[in-house]
Amino acid sequence: MVGAFDYAPAIVLLPFLSFVLSLTAGKYLPKGGAFGGIAATAGSLILSAWVFLTVSAGNAYNETLYTWAAGVGEGTTTLTFGLLLDPLAAMMLLIVSLVALLVHVFSLGYMNDEGETGLPRYYAGLGLFTASMLGFVVADNLLMAFMFFELVGLCSYLLIGFWFREEGPPSAAKKAFLVTRFGDYFFLVGVVGVFATFGTAKFAGEAAFPVIAEEALAGGAEVTTFGFAPETWFTILGLLILGGVIGKSAQFPLHTWLPDAMEGPTPVSALIHAATMVAAGVYLVARMYGFYALSPTALGIVALVGGFTALFAATMGVVKRDIKQVLAYSTISQYGYMMLGLGAGGYVAATFHLLTHAFFKALLFLGAGAVIIAMHHDEDMWNMGGLKNRMPVTYYTFLSGSLALAGIVPFAGFWSKDEVLYEALIHGLAGSPLLLAGYAMGLVAVFFTGFYTFRMVFLTFHGEPRTETARNPHGVRWNVKGPLVVLGVLAATVGVVNMVPLHDLTGGFPPEYLHDWLAHGELSALTSEHYGELLHDYAGYTSADVASYVAGAVSLALALAGVLTAHVLYNVADPDEHTAKLGAVKTLWYNNYYQDEYQIWIAESFVLPLARLADKFDQGIVDGVVNGVSSVSLFAGNRIRRIQTGVVSNYAVLLTLGLTALLVVFGVLGGWFV
Amino acid sequence: MIIEGLIAATFAASMVVLLAPDRVAGRLAAALSLLPVVGSLYMWSRFDATGNALTGGDPAFETIVPWLELGGYTLNWHVGVDGIGLPLVVLTTILSTLAIVSAWASIDDRQSQFYGLMLFMEANLLGVFTALDFFVWFVFWEAVLLPMYFLIGVWGGPRRKYAAIKFFVYTNIASLAMFIGFIALLFGLGDSVSSLDMPAIAGALRAGELGSLYGISAGTLRAVAFVAMFLGFAVKVPVVPFHTWLPDAHVEAPSPVSVMLAGVLLKMGTYALLRFNFTMLPETATRFAVPIALVAVVSVVYGALLALAQQDLKRIVAYSSVSSMGYVILGLIAYTTYGVGGATFQMIAHGLISGLMFMSVGVMYNTTHTRMVGDMSGMADRMPVTAGIFVAGAFGYMGLPLMAGFAGEFFIFKGAFESTVHAAMPLFTAAAMFGIVIVAGYLLLAMQRTLFGSFRLETDYEVGPAPLHETVPLAVLLVTIIVLGVAPDLFFGMIQDAVDPLLDFGGELS
Repeated sequence: MVGAFDYAPAIVLLPFLSFVLSLTAGKYLPKGGAFGGIAATAGSLILSAWVFLTVSAGNAYNETLYTWAAGVGEGTTTLTFGLLLDPLAAMMLLIVSLVALLVHVFSLGYMNDEGETGLPRYYAGLGLFTASMLGFVVADNLLMAFMFFELVGLCSYLLIGFWFREEGPPSAAKKAFLVTRFGDYFFLVGVVGVFATFGTAKFAGEAAFPVIAEEALAGGAEVTTFGFAPETWFTILGLLILGGVIGKSAQFPLHTWLPDAMEGPTPVSALIHAATMVAAGVYLVARMYGFYALSPTALGIVALVGGFTALFAATMGVVKRDIKQVLAYSTISQYGYMMLGLGAGGYVAATFHLLTHAFFKALLFLGAGAVIIAMHHDEDMWNMGGLKNRMPVTYYTFLSGSLALAGIVPFAGFWSKDEVLYEALIHGLAGSPLLLAGYAMGLVAVFFTGFYTFRMVFLTFHGEPRTETARNPHGVRWNVKGPLVVLGVLAATVGVVNMVPLHDLTGGFPPEYLHDWLAHGELSALTSEHYGELLHDYAGYTSADVASYVAGAVSLALALAGVLTAHVLYNVADPDEHTAKLGAVKTLWYNNYYQDEYQIWIAESFVLPLARLADKFDQGIVDGVVNGVSSVSLFAGNRIRRIQTGVVSNYAVLLTLGLTALLVVFGVLGGWFV
Repeated sequence: MIIEGLIAATFAASMVVLLAPDRVAGRLAAALSLLPVVGSLYMWSRFDATGNALTGGDPAFETIVPWLELGGYTLNWHVGVDGIGLPLVVLTTILSTLAIVSAWASIDDRQSQFYGLMLFMEANLLGVFTALDFFVWFVFWEAVLLPMYFLIGVWGGPRRKYAAIKFFVYTNIASLAMFIGFIALLFGLGDSVSSLDMPAIAGALRAGELGSLYGISAGTLRAVAFVAMFLGFAVKVPVVPFHTWLPDAHVEAPSPVSVMLAGVLLKMGTYALLRFNFTMLPETATRFAVPIALVAVVSVVYGALLALAQQDLKRIVAYSSVSSMGYVILGLIAYTTYGVGGATFQMIAHGLISGLMFMSVGVMYNTTHTRMVGDMSGMADRMPVTAGIFVAGAFGYMGLPLMAGFAGEFFIFKGAFESTVHAAMPLFTAAAMFGIVIVAGYLLLAMQRTLFGSFRLETDYEVGPAPLHETVPLAVLLVTIIVLGVAPDLFFGMIQDAVDPLLDFGGELS
């Protein structure tokens, strides 16, 4: 029977077709190829929904579809592409295709209506971006995942640098690709290492590498571990792959590319932050969670990096003036939470936060995009104010997203962030100081999140307009409002799928849909149930007994405190720049802890001079020796020069004569003329 | 007979073009060069070789004709292709045609001689990659140098004489070292071989029939000959520290000649390393695994650092070739299917990608008359298609997946990491892999400065898009690179088949 799984490759291919179409014929298409992109992503969304329904009926799909490089000879690995459709992938497909569709629609308002040029290139980029991410999501092995991961990086380069005639975007694009490439270097070493260790890179099935790793730890399988104990070697592999995750998901210390990436068009930011590039890193850890769950060290590092990044980025968000910059740091911080959740053993919690964040962050970016259209592309919040009455649809949807980001009940972000913190707390209390440290940092960040989110809301929408532009903003059309409304509703309600504290409080109502969704499946090695066993057996995770609603109340109180502080300070007719009172701390935060400076220093004051030194050495010494040696034989050169008349016909004659002579000699020697 | 036909037709074409009037030479050369393209693709479609031509495999389109006797050795006309030779033959024919078309715009002087020499070089290159007799091979090998010398020395830039002589003398001395090394081996084999047939020599050497020579023990002889041949070929590749002729040659050579130089001529070095050093003396190679891997890592990282320091686009691409060829050396010493096979694949991939880069630099140079990064900016504004292809080519160079470069590099990395020739191979591999970060650094930096930003270039004429006949070769190359990246098995299957027999060379022989 032909079912959803047979059409699943089209989910990836449709946006790819849109890319090819926009690239080759975009000039002749209406709206620069936007409609093709909308149709393609809508098609992907419909097919994703079909796949989702099929998966929810208890089916899964794990098939190799294309042999990229067939291994010839005994024991040679064959490298393949295939599709892995399980509950996690099905959920992610829905998120990515929905956000991509809304971003395409929104782009009609943000790009077409604003009279941008180069639209075919823009829509081609969006199409390829969506296709690469969808390809990454359905990848059935680590190599294929890496390949699409890199293509996602290419697309971010092309789209961040969309306005290439200016100075800023090309530089930001370069930085985004280079910083993530640095992370991907470790990832690639990890991929190669996984092949060398297990002989396969498949995520699921009998001979999947997490399964072999588990067997090896249990003493049931022999693998090459390059002289290390298996536990140590698996931890090293996990950490190498984590390098790619830290780069793409903008975790400390490779987060520096992301704020610069705001140079790209705002809909692209929405796509990068909510559903594609940044999400790819966290999704990868979730995808191969069966491998990470074997190594408590790797998990601890994931959690610590996540917790630290959550707090670190949140503090910087407090002082930014540019609305997109605030959102950029909130993205870094929120992905920190997801990493904390994964490291803390909260696979479902982190996946849940990935889901809710995708909607509310896409919403916030598109809302910011609407504000930027209204403000004639001025992004400084201090030039805004009072936009609430002038653009109500944007305001209320943006508010919905902000409440979700701040983690205020009952908006989506509350349920998911809360569960992440809860998981860190219970596993931390059971004897892991690393996780407790992550929890503490995540908890403090909750306050900052509430504060910077509502500082942004109040500065942008409340009070009196502070500039003429803010008094008479540019209107926006349906193509901007439509996506905002869809996402606004989702940001308010999507938490329903997993209301753990409520479930515990009422003793079982409503059901924890997401837990159930991820707990079962045909591929039993990819279920949260199995991960729970692994965490218990190999990572030694146990849980302390803390009621989920107590933990939830604590973080809600902190979030409310943050919102309240913002309300007192900024929800007035004519707010002051209170952050100035922070003094040196503000300078530190405003300059991002000087993280960019040291990375630029490494590039410009270390690597470049090193390269120039190498060049001097090469020209002076290596080549100098060559020239020195050759000058000894210069007299020979003089003779050569005499016959060097520069007339090619002379050379040709010489050449022909030489060849003829050679042939005659061999002819005589070989006895041809006898 | 098809190989002879191919070579003879190309020779004939070169003579026809040499005698044709300058006016039509470019078009005529392009048309005639399609013949070898068709021939090589026909060979690809009818390819039925098994195994490695030098180790008892059965090469396709093989001919053996006894030719003459010399000093007790039989010289045969022996040609044939296996899974290593054929991809290089296809690369040579395709790249030659594209280089000839790309020369239409820039070569406006003594065209018939230029195109005649290009075809003459192609014919010899085809000979190098198909010859299975040492004498035949060596004649072709040396004969490639002559046209290249003239192509640089006559049509090159201001310092063309220096660059051409440096290239000629350097590679010729290297050939001498290689020749002496090989002949020493041949004499050491004594009566066990009676011809210069490469399969026979390889078989004898792999069977351990090397005796002592003038009191030098077989082990020493083997090591010395290995080093001599390695040095000889290393110049051609080029491997650090024998690379300094390359940037000079590239900077002075006209772009179409650079395309051939980087695209095909460098592969002669790695091809010969594979055919001689790594096929005939495998146990010696593995004994030298650490220094060879070290040379590979240094070439990758040092070459990439040098590229980072350059201001001339052509020098950037030239040094990055040094870096890319380092990967090939790493793959060869791995002695795994993916390592050696990947190295062979990388020869093709790098040939196409560096060809594309040199060609697109050439297209921009024809319009702007400068190649200096600091002189221009915002070229994407005026030449969007060329800039777009340049960006795509640069990402190919950086090893973007689904382009040929990634396939080659990944195969090499995988093969080298799992290699067992030395316990430290994973570390060497990881160190060499860092090249993928540096290559991104210098290419992204160069693109940012030349292609993007506001358009700035001082000319007294309008800078506009390149004509179609300059764009088409770029597009053809780009499509080929993507096709090979998506379906590497078009070549990788036959490559593996030819590489596999090399890996099994028994125990210690020295």
